[in-house]
Amino acid sequence: MSFLQALRSFFRDAAVNLVRGWKVSLVAVLTIAVSLFLSGVFLLASRNLARSVERWQREARVVVYLTPQATAEELAVWARRAAAERWVQTVHPVDPRQAQERFRSIFPSLADLVTAGSEEPLPASLEIEVRPAARGSREQLSALASWRRAPGVTLIDDDREWLAQVQGLVAVIRGVGLVLGLVLLGAAVFTIGSVIRLAAFLHSEEISILRLVGATEFYIRGPFYAEGLLQGTLGGLFAAGGLYGAWLLVRQRAGDALVPSLLAADFLAADQLAALVLLGTAAGLIGAITSLRGETLRSG
Amino acid sequence: MGFQRGKGLIQLFHVSKLYPGGQAALSDLTFEIGRGQFVFLTGASGAGKTTLLRLIFREEVPSSGQILVNGRNVASIPQRKIPYLRRTMGVVFQDFRLIARKTVFENVSYLPRILGVDLRGRKKLAYHALRRVGLAHRMSSFPPELSGGEQQRVAIARALINEPDILIADEPTGNLDPDLAREILRLFLLVNQRGTTVLLATHDREMIQRVGGRVLTLDRGQLATDREVVGTEKPELRLGDEDDLGEEVRAEGSAKDVKDGKDGVEEEGEAGGGLEEVGGERVDA
Repeated sequence: MSFLQALRSFFRDAAVNLVRGWKVSLVAVLTIAVSLFLSGVFLLASRNLARSVERWQREARVVVYLTPQATAEELAVWARRAAAERWVQTVHPVDPRQAQERFRSIFPSLADLVTAGSEEPLPASLEIEVRPAARGSREQLSALASWRRAPGVTLIDDDREWLAQVQGLVAVIRGVGLVLGLVLLGAAVFTIGSVIRLAAFLHSEEISILRLVGATEFYIRGPFYAEGLLQGTLGGLFAAGGLYGAWLLVRQRAGDALVPSLLAADFLAADQLAALVLLGTAAGLIGAITSLRGETLRSG
Repeated sequence: MGFQRGKGLIQLFHVSKLYPGGQAALSDLTFEIGRGQFVFLTGASGAGKTTLLRLIFREEVPSSGQILVNGRNVASIPQRKIPYLRRTMGVVFQDFRLIARKTVFENVSYLPRILGVDLRGRKKLAYHALRRVGLAHRMSSFPPELSGGEQQRVAIARALINEPDILIADEPTGNLDPDLAREILRLFLLVNQRGTTVLLATHDREMIQRVGGRVLTLDRGQLATDREVVGTEKPELRLGDEDDLGEEVRAEGSAKDVKDGKDGVEEEGEAGGGLEEVGGERVDA
């Protein structure tokens, strides 16, 4: 029997077994589907969050706030000083009047808070765009550190600081997803293994006959491996389908809500989706192989 | 059916088998069985008959000594080569070992399927094997629909489908009434007459006395006797007698079953026409 003939025979037998024992097979398929679905949810969330962080990083800037008493000359001096730094791409000085106008346009209902002549007008500031290659460089960090100590500067707001926190959150989500995915995948492998072991037990009489008439181990085990592989692949496909359905639902219902639209901005890439399904396939195969290791089939 | 020493198809040299705990199932067995011989293996229950058969088809390995089958030491055959050894043997058990949910055709055609024979070829082989045991018309039946004798004949057909060099039978008539047992024995004799070496384990001494032949007697794991017994009513056999086996063998019916697609085959796409070459043959009832 050629290898291809054997594969064809294995998958045919496996398909028959799946249909005959569909209830037990469904449990295995759903277990792996649920575990991959949950892993996929974490993957999707972390992917979208990571992409947002990347975008924010590209737009990240440093804002240097001067004291309220800073004059226009002092603002100009600081602007020249900043522009002289190699890590700085552009410098945009914002005087108190421009700051107030901007505040009023963004928060019209709070415009009264910053009316001219109030006690604490908005301070002058410098909006600095950092060269991509110099982001987080030692040069930048040491310059910002020295500016923080300089008289005339009240506050330096570096976007990198909160972006680092978001990146940490992404890492946590990925980690939790990975751990949860591994645990659930382990459970799925165990379930598939149990289902395959049960199938092998139910076929023990046939296995003993196959062995008697001269079937090789490859021929005897092949249909069970194929069965695990099919279960895992089906589980992966169910998970991918379920994930897409859930993503569409969230997108439809999210509206302008920040968190859902942030976490479900884009669906998984084709290669990630394929990897999810292949993970199911691998889990099914591993479940089958581990369940038939050693003497499992010998008892037949 | 003569005793041909020196042309051993199966040769045992000082074979012993100890089970865990030191219990000896077989002890220092030395004998050989020539190609084409018909040999009875007898002895009381627990004498070691089944163990000996299991050693020959390599379901177990001897604790000491050598077993040569066709000149090859079966104990030293690597695990992965055992299937190839077994393909040269047919094995029949007392409990038939048929799969109830599979048709007679499927039960019989395991080995051709393993060997990658296509459906048409499998049908042909199964038909020929079943015809030899007089059951060609039951290809699409399921084992529970058959009598005990018919089930054993299906098991024999399965063992014969690859024209094995050796046919090993462990108490094949143990579950059958005397008439059916006689019929099955006659079948084994016919198989032997076509050149297959037959090793038949039985504790039915009356059957041995009736048929006669070479008899190996085991007693508590040892070879007690190796002798020729002259049968009292040896059946007259002639080649082609296989066609006479069975109570209701209907070749025309079997051919019709196949033409009607009732060959018990689940596969689609390949079915049909598998017995065109043999469908025209008649098997006289």
